[in-house]
Amino acid sequence: MKIGSFKWLFGRNSEFWPTNMKIGMWAWVGHRITGIILVIYIFMHLAFLSTASSGGAGFENLMKTTAQPAFVLMDFLLVCAVVYHAMNGFRVVLFDMGIGIRRQKLVFWVMMAISLIIIAAAFYVLFNAGLFKGEWF
Amino acid sequence: MAEQRIATTKVAGTWAWFLQRLSAGLLIILLAVHIYLDHYAEVGADITVGWVHQRIGQLLYIAIDYSMLALVIFHGLNGSRTILFDFDVFAKRKKGVDVALWVLGIAMLIWGIIVLIPFIKG
Repeated sequence: MKIGSFKWLFGRNSEFWPTNMKIGMWAWVGHRITGIILVIYIFMHLAFLSTASSGGAGFENLMKTTAQPAFVLMDFLLVCAVVYHAMNGFRVVLFDMGIGIRRQKLVFWVMMAISLIIIAAAFYVLFNAGLFKGEWF
Repeated sequence: MAEQRIATTKVAGTWAWFLQRLSAGLLIILLAVHIYLDHYAEVGADITVGWVHQRIGQLLYIAIDYSMLALVIFHGLNGSRTILFDFDVFAKRKKGVDVALWVLGIAMLIWGIIVLIPFIKG
Protein backbone atom coordinates (compact mmCIF):
# COMPACT_ATOMS: atom_id res chain seq x y z
CA MET A 1 0.00 0.00 0.00
CA LYS A 2 1.37 3.39 -0.97
CA ILE A 3 1.32 5.71 1.99
CA GLY A 4 -0.01 9.15 1.12
CA SER A 5 -1.77 8.03 -2.04
CA PHE A 6 -5.30 6.73 -1.80
CA LYS A 7 -6.09 7.29 -5.50
CA TRP A 8 -6.62 3.55 -5.99
CA LEU A 9 -9.27 3.63 -3.28
CA PHE A 10 -10.97 7.02 -3.59
CA GLY A 11 -9.75 8.42 -6.93
CA ARG A 12 -11.71 9.11 -10.10
CA ASN A 13 -11.31 5.56 -11.40
CA SER A 14 -11.95 3.87 -8.08
CA GLU A 15 -15.04 1.97 -7.01
CA PHE A 16 -15.80 4.64 -4.42
CA TRP A 17 -15.88 7.65 -6.75
CA PRO A 18 -19.54 8.76 -6.48
CA THR A 19 -20.33 8.56 -10.21
CA ASN A 20 -18.86 5.04 -10.36
CA MET A 21 -21.07 3.81 -7.56
CA LYS A 22 -24.22 1.87 -8.36
CA ILE A 23 -27.16 1.50 -6.02
CA GLY A 24 -25.89 -1.64 -4.25
CA MET A 25 -22.59 0.09 -3.56
CA TRP A 26 -24.32 3.14 -2.05
CA ALA A 27 -26.36 0.77 0.12
CA TRP A 28 -23.17 -0.99 1.22
CA VAL A 29 -21.33 2.26 2.00
CA GLY A 30 -24.37 3.53 3.90
CA HIS A 31 -24.54 0.29 5.87
CA ARG A 32 -20.90 0.61 6.93
CA ILE A 33 -21.15 4.29 7.85
CA THR A 34 -24.32 3.82 9.92
CA GLY A 35 -22.77 0.67 11.43
CA ILE A 36 -19.70 2.58 12.63
CA ILE A 37 -21.90 5.40 13.98
CA LEU A 38 -24.00 2.87 15.92
CA VAL A 39 -20.93 1.17 17.43
CA ILE A 40 -19.70 4.57 18.64
CA TYR A 41 -23.20 5.21 19.99
CA ILE A 42 -23.15 2.00 22.07
CA PHE A 43 -20.17 3.42 23.98
CA MET A 44 -21.98 6.75 24.45
CA HIS A 45 -25.14 4.98 25.56
CA LEU A 46 -23.28 3.01 28.24
CA ALA A 47 -21.32 6.12 29.31
CA PHE A 48 -24.56 8.12 29.70
CA LEU A 49 -26.21 5.36 31.74
CA SER A 50 -23.12 5.00 33.93
CA THR A 51 -23.81 8.46 35.41
CA ALA A 52 -26.59 6.81 37.45
CA SER A 53 -24.05 4.67 39.31
CA SER A 54 -23.04 7.60 41.53
CA GLY A 55 -26.57 8.53 42.57
CA GLY A 56 -29.52 9.60 40.43
CA ALA A 57 -28.78 13.35 40.35
CA GLY A 58 -26.01 13.20 37.75
CA PHE A 59 -28.11 11.07 35.44
CA GLU A 60 -31.18 13.24 35.85
CA ASN A 61 -29.23 16.45 35.11
CA LEU A 62 -27.81 14.80 31.99
CA MET A 63 -31.31 13.77 30.87
CA LYS A 64 -32.49 17.38 31.29
CA THR A 65 -29.64 18.52 29.04
CA THR A 66 -30.50 15.92 26.41
CA ALA A 67 -34.12 17.15 26.37
CA GLN A 68 -32.90 20.29 24.51
CA PRO A 69 -33.90 20.48 20.82
CA ALA A 70 -30.32 20.09 19.50
CA PHE A 71 -30.02 16.77 21.36
CA VAL A 72 -33.49 15.68 20.26
CA LEU A 73 -32.36 16.32 16.67
CA MET A 74 -29.31 14.09 17.23
CA ASP A 75 -31.62 11.50 18.76
CA PHE A 76 -33.77 11.69 15.65
CA LEU A 77 -30.70 11.28 13.39
CA LEU A 78 -29.78 8.23 15.47
CA VAL A 79 -33.21 6.76 14.77
CA CYS A 80 -32.62 7.42 11.04
CA ALA A 81 -29.31 5.52 11.23
CA VAL A 82 -30.87 2.61 13.14
CA VAL A 83 -33.84 2.33 10.78
CA TYR A 84 -31.65 2.51 7.66
CA HIS A 85 -29.21 -0.05 9.07
CA ALA A 86 -32.06 -2.39 10.07
CA MET A 87 -33.95 -2.16 6.78
CA ASN A 88 -30.84 -2.43 4.59
CA GLY A 89 -29.65 -5.31 6.78
CA PHE A 90 -32.99 -7.03 6.19
CA ARG A 91 -32.39 -6.55 2.46
CA VAL A 92 -28.94 -8.18 2.77
CA VAL A 93 -30.46 -11.15 4.61
CA LEU A 94 -33.12 -11.52 1.89
CA PHE A 95 -30.38 -11.63 -0.76
CA ASP A 96 -28.41 -14.17 1.29
CA MET A 97 -31.49 -16.39 1.21
CA GLY A 98 -31.70 -15.89 -2.55
CA ILE A 99 -34.84 -13.76 -2.36
CA GLY A 100 -35.17 -10.73 -4.64
CA ILE A 101 -31.65 -10.66 -6.12
CA ARG A 102 -33.01 -10.32 -9.66
CA ARG A 103 -35.03 -7.32 -8.55
CA GLN A 104 -32.38 -5.91 -6.25
CA LYS A 105 -33.01 -2.27 -7.17
CA LEU A 106 -36.73 -2.60 -6.48
CA VAL A 107 -36.02 -4.33 -3.15
CA PHE A 108 -33.69 -1.46 -2.19
CA TRP A 109 -36.32 1.19 -2.91
CA VAL A 110 -39.06 -0.78 -1.13
CA MET A 111 -36.83 -0.98 1.95
CA MET A 112 -36.08 2.75 1.70
CA ALA A 113 -39.82 3.50 1.41
CA ILE A 114 -40.48 1.46 4.58
CA SER A 115 -37.60 3.27 6.31
CA LEU A 116 -39.00 6.64 5.29
CA ILE A 117 -42.43 5.80 6.71
CA ILE A 118 -40.93 4.74 10.06
CA ILE A 119 -38.66 7.80 10.15
CA ALA A 120 -41.57 10.12 9.31
CA ALA A 121 -43.64 8.56 12.10
CA ALA A 122 -40.77 9.06 14.56
CA PHE A 123 -40.36 12.70 13.49
CA TYR A 124 -44.11 13.29 13.84
CA VAL A 125 -44.12 11.93 17.40
CA LEU A 126 -41.14 14.10 18.44
CA PHE A 127 -42.45 17.21 16.68
CA ASN A 128 -45.98 16.74 17.99
CA ALA A 129 -44.69 16.46 21.56
CA GLY A 130 -43.04 19.87 21.08
CA LEU A 131 -39.52 18.54 21.57
CA PHE A 132 -38.09 20.77 18.87
CA LYS A 133 -39.43 23.90 20.57
CA GLY A 134 -37.38 26.01 22.95
CA GLU A 135 -33.73 27.02 23.26
CA TRP A 136 -31.62 25.29 20.63
CA PHE A 137 -28.24 25.95 22.15
CA MET B 1 -21.76 -7.07 -3.44
CA ALA B 2 -21.59 -10.84 -3.88
CA GLU B 3 -17.80 -10.78 -4.33
CA GLN B 4 -17.49 -8.65 -1.23
CA ARG B 5 -19.45 -11.12 0.87
CA ILE B 6 -17.61 -14.20 -0.32
CA ALA B 7 -14.22 -12.57 0.20
CA THR B 8 -15.17 -11.43 3.69
CA THR B 9 -16.64 -14.81 4.61
CA LYS B 10 -13.33 -16.47 3.72
CA VAL B 11 -11.43 -14.45 6.30
CA ALA B 12 -14.17 -13.84 8.86
CA GLY B 13 -15.64 -17.36 8.77
CA THR B 14 -19.10 -18.82 8.19
CA TRP B 15 -20.07 -18.70 11.86
CA ALA B 16 -19.32 -14.98 12.02
CA TRP B 17 -21.50 -14.53 8.94
CA PHE B 18 -24.35 -16.67 10.29
CA LEU B 19 -24.35 -15.27 13.84
CA GLN B 20 -24.30 -11.72 12.43
CA ARG B 21 -27.58 -12.47 10.64
CA LEU B 22 -29.10 -14.24 13.66
CA SER B 23 -28.23 -11.38 16.03
CA ALA B 24 -29.50 -8.90 13.42
CA GLY B 25 -32.92 -10.58 13.30
CA LEU B 26 -33.23 -10.64 17.08
CA LEU B 27 -32.02 -7.03 17.39
CA ILE B 28 -34.57 -5.74 14.88
CA ILE B 29 -37.35 -7.09 17.10
CA LEU B 30 -35.78 -6.16 20.47
CA LEU B 31 -34.67 -2.68 19.39
CA ALA B 32 -38.08 -1.90 17.92
CA VAL B 33 -39.59 -2.71 21.36
CA HIS B 34 -36.81 -0.85 23.23
CA ILE B 35 -36.86 2.33 21.16
CA TYR B 36 -40.65 2.48 21.10
CA LEU B 37 -41.23 1.82 24.81
CA ASP B 38 -38.30 3.86 26.14
CA HIS B 39 -38.27 6.81 23.81
CA TYR B 40 -41.57 7.15 22.01
CA ALA B 41 -44.47 5.66 24.03
CA GLU B 42 -44.14 8.33 26.74
CA VAL B 43 -42.34 10.96 24.71
CA GLY B 44 -41.56 14.16 26.63
CA ALA B 45 -41.63 12.51 30.06
CA ASP B 46 -38.96 13.54 32.57
CA ILE B 47 -36.46 10.70 32.49
CA THR B 48 -35.39 9.85 36.03
CA VAL B 49 -33.92 6.72 37.58
CA GLY B 50 -37.35 6.00 39.09
CA TRP B 51 -39.04 6.37 35.70
CA VAL B 52 -36.67 3.90 34.08
CA HIS B 53 -37.04 1.60 37.11
CA GLN B 54 -40.82 1.30 36.56
CA ARG B 55 -40.03 -0.71 33.46
CA ILE B 56 -36.63 -2.24 34.08
CA GLY B 57 -37.54 -3.25 37.63
CA GLN B 58 -39.53 -6.09 36.06
CA LEU B 59 -37.83 -9.42 35.47
CA LEU B 60 -39.01 -9.63 31.84
CA TYR B 61 -37.39 -6.31 30.93
CA ILE B 62 -34.19 -7.15 32.83
CA ALA B 63 -33.94 -10.27 30.66
CA ILE B 64 -34.79 -8.30 27.49
CA ASP B 65 -32.31 -5.50 28.21
CA TYR B 66 -29.42 -7.79 29.12
CA SER B 67 -30.07 -9.97 26.04
CA MET B 68 -30.10 -6.82 23.95
CA LEU B 69 -26.82 -5.70 25.55
CA ALA B 70 -25.07 -8.99 24.74
CA LEU B 71 -26.51 -9.10 21.21
CA VAL B 72 -25.68 -5.49 20.37
CA ILE B 73 -22.08 -5.84 21.60
CA PHE B 74 -21.66 -9.02 19.57
CA HIS B 75 -23.27 -7.56 16.45
CA GLY B 76 -21.35 -4.28 16.67
CA LEU B 77 -17.95 -5.82 17.28
CA ASN B 78 -18.48 -8.67 14.80
CA GLY B 79 -19.46 -6.05 12.21
CA SER B 80 -16.35 -4.03 13.06
CA ARG B 81 -14.33 -7.23 12.63
CA THR B 82 -15.70 -7.66 9.11
CA ILE B 83 -14.73 -4.07 8.28
CA LEU B 84 -11.23 -4.54 9.76
CA PHE B 85 -10.67 -7.71 7.71
CA ASP B 86 -11.28 -5.73 4.52
CA PHE B 87 -7.90 -4.11 5.24
CA ASP B 88 -4.81 -6.26 4.70
CA VAL B 89 -3.14 -4.89 7.82
CA PHE B 90 -5.82 -6.50 10.00
CA ALA B 91 -6.57 -9.54 7.82
CA LYS B 92 -2.93 -10.59 8.29
CA ARG B 93 -3.30 -10.32 12.06
CA LYS B 94 -6.54 -12.26 12.47
CA LYS B 95 -5.68 -13.82 15.86
CA GLY B 96 -4.65 -10.48 17.34
CA VAL B 97 -7.83 -8.78 16.12
CA ASP B 98 -9.97 -11.61 17.50
CA VAL B 99 -8.31 -11.52 20.92
CA ALA B 100 -8.59 -7.71 21.10
CA LEU B 101 -12.27 -7.76 20.15
CA TRP B 102 -13.10 -10.55 22.63
CA VAL B 103 -11.40 -8.63 25.45
CA LEU B 104 -13.19 -5.42 24.45
CA GLY B 105 -16.53 -7.24 24.11
CA ILE B 106 -16.31 -8.93 27.52
CA ALA B 107 -15.25 -5.64 29.14
CA MET B 108 -18.21 -3.86 27.55
CA LEU B 109 -20.57 -6.64 28.67
CA ILE B 110 -19.38 -6.36 32.28
CA TRP B 111 -19.59 -2.53 32.08
CA GLY B 112 -23.11 -2.77 30.65
CA ILE B 113 -24.25 -5.20 33.36
CA ILE B 114 -22.93 -2.89 36.10
CA VAL B 115 -24.38 0.25 34.50
CA LEU B 116 -27.96 -1.07 34.61
CA ILE B 117 -27.89 -2.10 38.29
CA PRO B 118 -28.98 1.31 39.72
CA PHE B 119 -31.99 1.26 37.38
CA ILE B 120 -32.92 -2.29 38.36
CA LYS B 121 -32.69 -1.45 42.09
CA GLY B 122 -34.60 1.83 41.56
